[in-house]
Amino acid sequence: MSDRKLPRLLQTPAVLLLLVWMLIPLGMTLYFSFIRYVLNSLRRPEWTTPNLSNWRGFGNYEFVLKSKDFLFAIQNSLFIVCSILILTVILGVLIAVLINKTFPGQGIVRVLLISPFFVMPAVNAVLWINMILDPVLGLQGIAIGSINELLESLRNVPLVDWFFSLWPKLEPISFRATQTSAYAVIIMVTWQWTPFAVLIFMTSLQSEDQQQKEAAVLDGASAWSQFRFLTLPHLARPIAIVVMIQAIFHLSLYAEIEIVSRGNGNKNLPYLIGEFANNNIGAASATGIFAVILANIVAFFLLRMIGKTLME
Amino acid sequence: MGRIQLKNVTKSFGDVQVIPPLDLTIEDGEFAVFVGPSGCGKSTLLRMIAGLEDLTSGEIEIDGEVATEVPPAQRGLAMVFQSYALYPHMTVRKNIGFPLRMAKIEQAEIDQRVETAAKSLNLMDYLDRKPADLSGGQRQRVAIGRAIVREPAAFLFDEPLSNLDAALRVGMRLEIGELHERLKTTMIYVTHDQVEAMTMANKIVVLRAGVIEQVGSPLELYHRPQNEFVAGFIGSPKMNFVKGPEAEKHDAATIGIRPEHTDVSMTDGAWKGRVGVAEHLGSDTFIHVHDTGLADMLTVRVTGDISVKHGDTIYLTPQADQIHKFDAQGLRI
Repeated sequence: MSDRKLPRLLQTPAVLLLLVWMLIPLGMTLYFSFIRYVLNSLRRPEWTTPNLSNWRGFGNYEFVLKSKDFLFAIQNSLFIVCSILILTVILGVLIAVLINKTFPGQGIVRVLLISPFFVMPAVNAVLWINMILDPVLGLQGIAIGSINELLESLRNVPLVDWFFSLWPKLEPISFRATQTSAYAVIIMVTWQWTPFAVLIFMTSLQSEDQQQKEAAVLDGASAWSQFRFLTLPHLARPIAIVVMIQAIFHLSLYAEIEIVSRGNGNKNLPYLIGEFANNNIGAASATGIFAVILANIVAFFLLRMIGKTLME
Repeated sequence: MGRIQLKNVTKSFGDVQVIPPLDLTIEDGEFAVFVGPSGCGKSTLLRMIAGLEDLTSGEIEIDGEVATEVPPAQRGLAMVFQSYALYPHMTVRKNIGFPLRMAKIEQAEIDQRVETAAKSLNLMDYLDRKPADLSGGQRQRVAIGRAIVREPAAFLFDEPLSNLDAALRVGMRLEIGELHERLKTTMIYVTHDQVEAMTMANKIVVLRAGVIEQVGSPLELYHRPQNEFVAGFIGSPKMNFVKGPEAEKHDAATIGIRPEHTDVSMTDGAWKGRVGVAEHLGSDTFIHVHDTGLADMLTVRVTGDISVKHGDTIYLTPQADQIHKFDAQGLRI
């Protein structure tokens, strides 16, 4: 038995540290979520210090559930995460298969492809929303402006003028608006995280058995069939890994949402927590507990789904 | 039907020519074995026939029709790979049925043909398993099953037994031989193991550095090797070569004598030597003889057991009618 005790003893400090690291914040969040605790209140100064005498029971939870943004934030969280997952996996597989072939300049192309992943999220958001998606000054505005100009000039050309006069004038999309700000976040995060998917899929593709491919060629499999019956099943595990890691990361998106529209029409749970935490720590903590529950539900389904793939 | 003809076929990788112009005909129903040391181009040649490698020049004809530009799947050839190349995500049933599925054959017929193949290969109990759950020999049989269902004009085997242990290898050798007797389909088999070549082939093609050294039946190669290389490659243990005055006595630059064609005596004989290691196999004894003054080491094979000790003096006498003579270029005289 003693040979087991020693390794356990040696592990204990690390395990304890991790437990403390996790349990203290969780405990404090739980505690705050059951009391009235605000940062600033002239009317009720006693609420500005956390104290058991300010016990509110499930009041904070009721308050959060009844607030108009809560359900929207949950839906929006899931919408953003799922969209990003689908887009990055599809784009990642396509790009990885494309650059897996040898071609001149392969090294440079691969480095360039990976580079978006090293851009900081806030910088990424600023670049996209101002330089690319801006309806006037961004690439989008400039492109749509030039297309409109081109259409305008073509309307004055004889013979084809009737055809181009049928075309409407294109309107740029404002990605800071309530209806579109979620799409802006999806676009920029997809751009940033596709390289991650590409990187993982590419390493997996390089371990693919070439003799299997040759056998499939001799068996009469077309390029599509080889992809469908060999490459895609081979990628099942890396896809599972990419989905799991990204799901965990994207449930806590914050910088992009803040920069694109300051939460206008586009909130997720972390952003809602941030908004409450401006003053109402009790409500923010209750939202935090909801976020923990949501993350656990997602993790439960992911682990079941992915565990099956990883077992094989 | 499966008559395969190679006409003036060459292959270069960049500037390196691995196969200089080569002609070869494999008749319908033949069991041809390409044998040679590793890197001699035998696998490349097989892959060229399969269509997995392009020809640098020359032509391949299958049943009299030029197949050089025909894509691999349409050549009607089935290949069994060294690593088996089974599809890991599919069950045995799906693996064997894959070529039929790709050919868009009806599911009912696929099932029926897969079962027939599985029955003939004793795979019925494993049809719903994945390749990872099978032993090496079973995987090999699945790979063969996948080749059989296509009813190909010829089978191509690329060192199919080299990943199996010795006992299983002997068993699979018999099974493949049996399969050839039953199907009477042309088979081309690549190996570096001359025992496999000798036991299975109708026709052995000995290759060295992309050049065919000799083509013939196993016994032809054994009894009348055309050059020193073939003589040394075919037969186990290896033929002994003697150069110098002893060879000049026979008007040759080199003479070769097989270990089994040398008589052994402890008292007198043509060549005197000292016993080195003696390998006792029970049925045979291989004695390695040193200090004969003829070559570094001569090997002799004695049927049954003979009690010799390390360091004993021993006399060897080659059987006169079994001496192979080669000229200075290594060609048979």
